[in-house]
Amino acid sequence: MSNPTMRSSDLVSAAGAKRPTKADVVIIGNGALGMFLADELIERQVGSVVVVGPSNRDTGASQAAGAMLGCFGETTTESLRTDAARTRFELGISAHDKWPEALRRLDEFKPSDRPLQTTTESHIILNSVGAELDTVNFAAIIDALDQYDKPWKEVDPTDIPGYNPRTESRALRAIHLPTEGAVDARGVLASLERRLRHGGAILLDQTVRRLVGSDEAVTGVELDDGHLIEAGAVVVAAGIHSESLVRTVFDVPDLMPTFPGLGFAMIAKRTGGEPFTSVVRTPNRGFACGLHVVPQGGGLEYYGATNRLVNTISSVTWMADVRFLAQYSMQQLDERAAIHEVTKWCSGNRPVTLDGFPLVGWMPPSGLYLMTGTYRDGFHCAPLLAEHVANELQGKSGIIDSIFQPMRKPVATRTMEWSIDEYVTHSLAAWFETGAQAAPQMTTSQLTDYYRNMAVQTYEQLGVDYGLGPDILWYAQGNLHGARRVARFLRTFKGDGDVAQPAGATTGTGGTR
Amino acid sequence: MPAYQPSVADTVRSLVTKQLNLNGYSQDLRPDDNLWSLGMTSLTCLGLMLSIEDTFEIELPEEALKEATFRSINTISAAVESSRK
Repeated sequence: MSNPTMRSSDLVSAAGAKRPTKADVVIIGNGALGMFLADELIERQVGSVVVVGPSNRDTGASQAAGAMLGCFGETTTESLRTDAARTRFELGISAHDKWPEALRRLDEFKPSDRPLQTTTESHIILNSVGAELDTVNFAAIIDALDQYDKPWKEVDPTDIPGYNPRTESRALRAIHLPTEGAVDARGVLASLERRLRHGGAILLDQTVRRLVGSDEAVTGVELDDGHLIEAGAVVVAAGIHSESLVRTVFDVPDLMPTFPGLGFAMIAKRTGGEPFTSVVRTPNRGFACGLHVVPQGGGLEYYGATNRLVNTISSVTWMADVRFLAQYSMQQLDERAAIHEVTKWCSGNRPVTLDGFPLVGWMPPSGLYLMTGTYRDGFHCAPLLAEHVANELQGKSGIIDSIFQPMRKPVATRTMEWSIDEYVTHSLAAWFETGAQAAPQMTTSQLTDYYRNMAVQTYEQLGVDYGLGPDILWYAQGNLHGARRVARFLRTFKGDGDVAQPAGATTGTGGTR
Repeated sequence: MPAYQPSVADTVRSLVTKQLNLNGYSQDLRPDDNLWSLGMTSLTCLGLMLSIEDTFEIELPEEALKEATFRSINTISAAVESSRK
C-alpha cells in the first residue's frame, strides 16, 4: 500500500480562494481532531489545508464536550487491566503533556478575555449514589495515580470550593488532583478557527457528500452541493459521521462499526453561592462518564453528562436525560444549582467503536486516512493525535501505538465471562444511580441474577464469542438494529483465527468481582 | 419431477418453531398467530431476526426492524418476500 505525502506543487492559493478545487490535504470534520490536525499541518507549513465541516458543528461531540483534561479522573477498573487498555490509557497521559503548548499557540487567538484553560485541578468525590462501581473505580483512580507517580491527596469533601450537595448524597471521600483541569471547549474551537484562518487554511462551512475515488485510491471529496475538491490526501475526522463517509468508497464487512454515543450536558450561569473553581466529578459510572461540573469562566458552569448508544445520529435530548442531569447535579454537586440559569443545552454524539478503541491510521485505499473512534476523550487527545497524524501524512514515523490501526480485528480485552460480570456491575450501578426501586423483598443478588440472565441470553442470541464492553452489550440487547450491526461484524471474523487474543492484548481472568 | 422447495412461510415456520422452542406444537401454529403472545421476547426476536437473514441471505431494511414485522409467520414472510424483490 502506498500513500501520498504532500506535494508542494499541488498548492492552491489560500488567500481569497474560498472554494478551492485542489488541496494538499482535505480534512473532513471541524471538531477537535480535525481542527488540531489542521493547525499542526499549518504550523509545519507542509501545504494547503482545507477543513470541511458545518460551522454549528451540530451533532458533533466536540461542541458539546466538557473538555476535562483528565486521564486519571477517567480511570476505571478496566483502564490498566490489560496491555491493550494500558496502551489506550497511556495515550491519554501523553496527550496531557501536549496541552500547555497547544494552549500557548491558541492564547492570542482566543475570542474573549476568558482564559481557555478554565481550571487546572480536579476533585474526585465518592458518594454512595453510584453503587459498587463508584467504589471500585475510585480505588482504581488512586491506584493508577500511584502507579504513574502522579500527585494527589485525600481531602475533606466539605472543603471543596462550590461543592454543596444534599445531605443524603454527600461524599464519603474525596481526592484532589492538582494537575488535571479543563479547557473551554467552545473557546478552544473558536480560537482554532481564528488561528487557522490567520495561517491560511480554508474552512468550508459545508458537509461532504462522498469521497471521490475507488476502493483502491481516494483522490478527493464531493461537497453537499456537488463541488469537487481534488486532494493529495483526505483525512476523515468527522466523528460519528466518519464510518458512513468511508463506506462511500470502501464498503467492506470487516470495517469496524462506530456507534453514536448520544450525550447531553448543559451550561448554566451561577446565580448565587460559592462557585466551583475546579472540576468536581464522580468516577466513571454505569455505561457513562460520571457526574461532573466544569468551571467555564465568566460565571458559567458546565454540568454533564449522559451517554446512551443509539441508532440514529441526532442532536435531540431525551426528557429522561434532562431530568437525570438536572436532578443529580442539584442533589450530588450543588443544591443551589436549582436556580442557576441554563444558557446552553449541549447535545452531541461520541464516536464509539465496537471494541472501544480509536481508529487512527491509513486505510487500504491510498490517499485515505481515518481518525475517529475516540469515544469520550477525543478533545483531550486531539493535540497528540494531530502530531501523530501530521507525521504520518508527511511520511514520517507516528508517535502512537500501532494497535489503533483502523483495519484491525476488534481488540479483545475481556473474556465472555468478564464481559457478563462487567455488564451486571454497570447495570446495577445504573439501577441505583437513577433511583430505581424494587420491592423491598427483592435483594441486590436477585437483581444481579436478572441482569446476568439478560447478558447470557443476549450472547446466545447474537451467536458471537467476543467479549463486548458493557455499553455495547446493553446497546445490542436493546434493539434489533444495533444487534445486527454487532453480530454481522463479529461474524466476519469467525473461524478467522485469534480475534479473542490479538497481539498486544491480554484478557482478564474472567473471574467474578 | 422437480425437487421439493419449501415455501418462505414453511421455512419461517421452521425457524420460529426452533427459536421459540415450539417443537411438538409446530403444526398448531397458525400463520397469523401472535408470536409475542406465544412467548417471544425482545431477545428471542433478536435471534430470530439474525436466523431469518442468514437463512434467506437477505438484509431486512431498517424500517422493518420493529416489533410488528415479527408479529407472526405471515408478517415475517411478507418482510422476507419484500426484501427478496
